[in-house]
Amino acid sequence: MVDAFHSRIKTSLADANLQLALDANAEKRIKVRQAAFESLPNPKQLRTRAHNVREDVIEHLDVYLETFITRAHENGVIVHRAADANQAVNIVMEIAFQKGAKLIAKSKTMVSEEIRLNPALEEHGFQVIETDLGEYIVQLRGEAPSHIITPAVHLRRQDVGKLFEEKLGLPYTEDISVMTNAARSTLRQVFLDADIGISGVNFGVAETGTLCVVTNEGNGRMVTTVPRTHIALMGIERIVPTMDDLALMLSLLPRSATGQKLSVYTSLLTSPRREDDPDGPQERHIIMVDNGRNEVRGSELSEILFCIRCGACLNACPVFREIGGHAYVGRDGTGSTYQGPVGSVVSPALFGQCEYGHLARASSLCGACKEACPVEIDLPKLLLRVRAGIGVQAPRVLAKPNTPKLLKIGVEIFSVAATSPKRFAVAQRLAGLFGSAATFLSKGDPWIHLPAFSGWGYSKDFPRPAAKPFHARYNARVNPEADEEHKLIPHSDASAISSPKIDDENLLTKFTVELEALGGKFYVCSTNEVWHKILEILQAHDIKEIMSWDAVTLPDRLLEKLNEAGIQVIFPTSENIRANNHIRAGLTGASGAIAESGSILILGGAGQPLTASLLPEIHIALLRGKDVLLQLSQVLQMGKIKQAPAAILISGPSRTADIEMTLTIGVHGPGELHVICMNDE
Amino acid sequence: MPTTVQLFITCILDTLYPETGEAIVRVLERAGARVSFPPNQTCCGQPAFNAGLRAQARKMAMQTIRAFEPYHGPVVVPSGSCAAMIRHSYAELFADDHKWLERASKMAQRTYEFSEFLVDILGVTNLGARYEGRLTYHSSCHLFRDLGVDRQPRALLAGVYHAEFVELPNSTDCCGFGGVFSIEHPEISSAMMERKIENIERSGASVVVSCDAGCITNINGGLHRKHKNQRAVHIADILDKV
Repeated sequence: MVDAFHSRIKTSLADANLQLALDANAEKRIKVRQAAFESLPNPKQLRTRAHNVREDVIEHLDVYLETFITRAHENGVIVHRAADANQAVNIVMEIAFQKGAKLIAKSKTMVSEEIRLNPALEEHGFQVIETDLGEYIVQLRGEAPSHIITPAVHLRRQDVGKLFEEKLGLPYTEDISVMTNAARSTLRQVFLDADIGISGVNFGVAETGTLCVVTNEGNGRMVTTVPRTHIALMGIERIVPTMDDLALMLSLLPRSATGQKLSVYTSLLTSPRREDDPDGPQERHIIMVDNGRNEVRGSELSEILFCIRCGACLNACPVFREIGGHAYVGRDGTGSTYQGPVGSVVSPALFGQCEYGHLARASSLCGACKEACPVEIDLPKLLLRVRAGIGVQAPRVLAKPNTPKLLKIGVEIFSVAATSPKRFAVAQRLAGLFGSAATFLSKGDPWIHLPAFSGWGYSKDFPRPAAKPFHARYNARVNPEADEEHKLIPHSDASAISSPKIDDENLLTKFTVELEALGGKFYVCSTNEVWHKILEILQAHDIKEIMSWDAVTLPDRLLEKLNEAGIQVIFPTSENIRANNHIRAGLTGASGAIAESGSILILGGAGQPLTASLLPEIHIALLRGKDVLLQLSQVLQMGKIKQAPAAILISGPSRTADIEMTLTIGVHGPGELHVICMNDE
Repeated sequence: MPTTVQLFITCILDTLYPETGEAIVRVLERAGARVSFPPNQTCCGQPAFNAGLRAQARKMAMQTIRAFEPYHGPVVVPSGSCAAMIRHSYAELFADDHKWLERASKMAQRTYEFSEFLVDILGVTNLGARYEGRLTYHSSCHLFRDLGVDRQPRALLAGVYHAEFVELPNSTDCCGFGGVFSIEHPEISSAMMERKIENIERSGASVVVSCDAGCITNINGGLHRKHKNQRAVHIADILDKV
């Protein structure tokens, strides 16, 4: 018995509020994931490919890491390697001291939870603020995230309403958009004032040294763009070899996590701010955290390193649904950073079988996790290995199972009986006698009411063992002649997997439908009319100021015309950002678009401030009709992406669903996205 | 010439449900198979494997392999998780033992779950069975996810005369059994079982059919404790009634 774990389980099961929250999570998340996968022509094939890519990466991690680090270095990124949690924390601390930092803004990074970064920084006097809405909520509550993707999944709107009343002075409300707005305005100041932004990394692309960070709220973009220094924390296993592989992973990650085709913001960060760039961090650091991963690589749990942290296995798991993330605790009661099926393997693998191995026993091995996993990790197999004590500390031969003592004795007795037909028959006869006695005592009831401590008797009755088992009955029949030659009929083989046909007609129509489904607005006009379209949007919102890209990046005389119409145009830079934070609209140009997901590609670089598409409430992007491509993989192959300091794929207005999974539009990034397509043919 | 099948009755059916075992034999015979019952069979080793006790699991698996090796022909197992244990987990269990791995894989290749065997190998879906009443079907986890068997038991139930089949809401959700899990974590197991029972009630069926004796024991144990009238039965118990 693991007491801390057991008592957390009981607490969770008795918490009606938590049960409602977890039920809602499971029901919603499973549905949206399944629906999102239906939009893929060949999900099974993609998942198998993704599995193979991840397998190859983990097998040849040294080679990929070297390439990645070399490229990142060439891109001007400062790369650090941390062997363990302490080293990682110390590296962050050194940078923070060196920069004289006071305030640190963080977007979601589970690695930082794993290395316990926040308490260490706070102990040294740094103020650390989580900016993902869910993380912000749990930080205000002094809790750890209860889910790797949706940290506040254990809470309901009333909990958040009370919390914001107490901590932010917001009058009590159950209106989620009001709460989200309160967080937005508090955190906006944090982004502007922060000396350092810390983010996680979803994928590092070896061939280009690019960091990929996906967020929906826009906080990930903020912390990687606005503060002068950006530190990215990355588990060493989060590498993909190429941009094509990244496209594959991105086709699976958001679908599995939140049921989106793409997250609202997919940031592809290549270099820090360069000489001509108007904004972006002066310094970009990557800390590559090992913290036990290399050892796991060499163990029989290495498959767990394929994980891309989508959280689908948590949502699918019937055990997680009953107990929630906070119940997953170590032997000493410390919360497990990673929860659910993946956590029940990752935690024992990285942080010790002794401390966390018992988590793997809390599974019915139903396989819902494996079924949900976008990279086809055989989680039940790994859970069983942990149970058998197979893992980092013990190769197979030395494996020491973590089976509870009483159960072990029971199974051992059973196995003595079951390894000899004779003993087995005797045991069955004894069970039959026990059954008959029980029936006699209970006056004919064929059910045995076992006591609760037996485990089974907690909530179930047990059927009476038969006085005469099947063995005995069968032998009473005429024994048919055994042993004849028979050919086996082979299984019908799986029908060949057909490759999908890609319909590349009507790209623009497809793009429009997808963009509008995300809540974006779409207009078509000639290049000459663009200024007028923009003016209409601004006038509808009573806006007289706009932050815009440089005139040379936009159609001829566009800004002049806007100016003549009474619109003041401001070019934002890192230096004037505070003064211009009030500006409500931003104008940019899209370098490409993805029809399949309704996404636009925005590149940073000279004359193209990233903040214009990030800080204002309204983002207006100009797009050329011919730049619309069908798929993500085509866009990721564009050379411009690798040359830009940062490239952002934007899929609709910024959003969150961190409170009760209720969709709220407009968090840290723009709440409105207007795409004006210039079609001059 | 009829196919002779080697029946692996499994320890739960053997000890708790011998009548179902007899129904299985009758149904197989009605489907045109001859049934042979290798006498030295006991348990496939799944309880020990799931408990983490691989040394014990290996011994039971060896016992099972030895018991079936002298008898040719397909091995039919009327329980999804036991069939999955032989088909998939024996390879894991004997990964470091080439000799036994080969013997295990030979057995795995000729092992079928009961409903899968009837439909895919014997090509039977209509066994002339009759059932008056409303039935529903619980997809057992190992059967559905590990063996990919779902259409077969459904086809067999569709062939039962007079039976009114209704869909079980969230049919593929685990019932909470999970072998040793149900006694190690009775609280969680119980919560999962309660959901299953709620869904059975919502389906309106009086009988829930399953192809796994573990699920049946778990669901019935809960139904009986709660004084519910619905019952879980093995698919052979339905197919046996003509």
